[in-house]
Amino acid sequence: MSKKDGVEEAIGGLLDAYDDDKEAIQYHVQLKKGDISDFVILPGDPGRVEFIADHFDKAEFVAENREYKTMTGEYKGRPVTVTSTGIGCPSTAIAIEELTNVGARTFVRLGTSGAMQEYTRVGEKVIATGAVRYEGTSVQYMPIEFPAVASHDMTMALKDSAIKNNIAYHLGIVQSKDSFYGQHNPEKMPIAEELRQKWDAWVKGGVLCSEMEAATIFVVGSYRKVRTGAVLLVAGDQARGESLSKEEYKDNMSESVKMILDSSLDIEVEE
Amino acid sequence: MFNKVEQVKHLPIRFGEVARYVIVPGDPNRIPIISKYLDNVEYQGQVREFNASRGTYKGVEVSVVSTGIGCPSTAIAVEELVYLGAEVFIRIGTSGSVDGSAKKGDIFIATAAVRDDGTSKQYMPIEFPAVADLGVVKNLINASESFSVPSKVGICQSKDSFFGEIDPSRMPISEYLDSKWKAWQGGSVGASEMEAATLFTLSQLFGVAAGAILAIETSDEKTIGKMTNIVLESIYYMEKEKNHV
Repeated sequence: MSKKDGVEEAIGGLLDAYDDDKEAIQYHVQLKKGDISDFVILPGDPGRVEFIADHFDKAEFVAENREYKTMTGEYKGRPVTVTSTGIGCPSTAIAIEELTNVGARTFVRLGTSGAMQEYTRVGEKVIATGAVRYEGTSVQYMPIEFPAVASHDMTMALKDSAIKNNIAYHLGIVQSKDSFYGQHNPEKMPIAEELRQKWDAWVKGGVLCSEMEAATIFVVGSYRKVRTGAVLLVAGDQARGESLSKEEYKDNMSESVKMILDSSLDIEVEE
Repeated sequence: MFNKVEQVKHLPIRFGEVARYVIVPGDPNRIPIISKYLDNVEYQGQVREFNASRGTYKGVEVSVVSTGIGCPSTAIAVEELVYLGAEVFIRIGTSGSVDGSAKKGDIFIATAAVRDDGTSKQYMPIEFPAVADLGVVKNLINASESFSVPSKVGICQSKDSFFGEIDPSRMPISEYLDSKWKAWQGGSVGASEMEAATLFTLSQLFGVAAGAILAIETSDEKTIGKMTNIVLESIYYMEKEKNHV
């Protein structure tokens, strides 16, 4: 086999993943049609997948490859899936694309975030209406002027679920970034000035919390014509030096999972 | 405590003369058309493209103020209205079709806007999303359903150059305009207009609520009337919600 053939074979394998052939096993998530439900919860951490699936009425392990771990099951009779995205927008975009290929029609991110406002405190849940696109992935899909906006019906369902479950929530815009340490230690970065200027603008613009995946989920979701939403648990507060204890984290994460699962009952099952 | 300036620089209204809810069309000539649907109408005058009136709908006070075409004059109107105490903005406008999901004659409710304008960038970095208020969107949808008016819900594009959209081929940057337009189509943008991006960005910045309802490629009085009915009913819902809280 010539070098060229070898490359073509490798790329051919990759392209299968984008193929309309829904029976194909998707390259990264290692899933095929039938493995997942139309409603997919997206945590960043593969270690959180089992914890989330513990809140289903029944759940089965489906696949695990790299940072993508998937479990599928049922909640109150509604099929639901959880797949981890890994940290950051690049791996998240891959997950959205491949999961959509095999039947996902609604995505709700469940993640942790850092507080950005005086009034966003650790333990509180933020339902994102939109996201600041301070990341590099979504601009490889859509020009930067395009808004990273969650689907209004998903956001409404999450809000209704929060109210029903007596969970205090904030509703508004979140910030998605690529550099975790650029947020935590901006002064150490060569572009400290830009990081600080932008951060000040987001805070003045009322951005509620900072995370790393929502913007790409919303933008790629618009392009793939799927429903998107996000719930971010405020787990840290740099300004106050506060963070959740392990127990608090677990309880609050549990509440967030419950909120998303109940919201799924408002979303019609799509084949 | 500093003394607030009573008179703003552009709008023909002063403190105490604007309602909590403001309908913001682009065209000053639409103020009398929209005001026909209000009771107790008072015309407040016109300065430049800013024409103003106020009245009531089912007992709720409502202002109507035109923004003129484009985001620069819209930003001036929004700044001054917020300064005077307005809290909820609903744009009524006309628009072009983009991805074909909304067609001529359709009513479109915007959830967010593409920031293809110059003004919003002088307020917030471009990465920031121009998102409509969820409550306004929800109430506009419910109100249009109450009138049995089918509506499309989605993202609109806000541009600065009208003729850049209508006739991109004659523009020196035609290729750039074409490729961007294709991207908006691919990203499921339903409508193209000229004010929403700045309205949404500024409302987020100032902590007020905003939404927009747009007619696709139609601007006759009947369609404006249909949208006015929906907007006024949504305002009535919002006032009821507010008083329940």
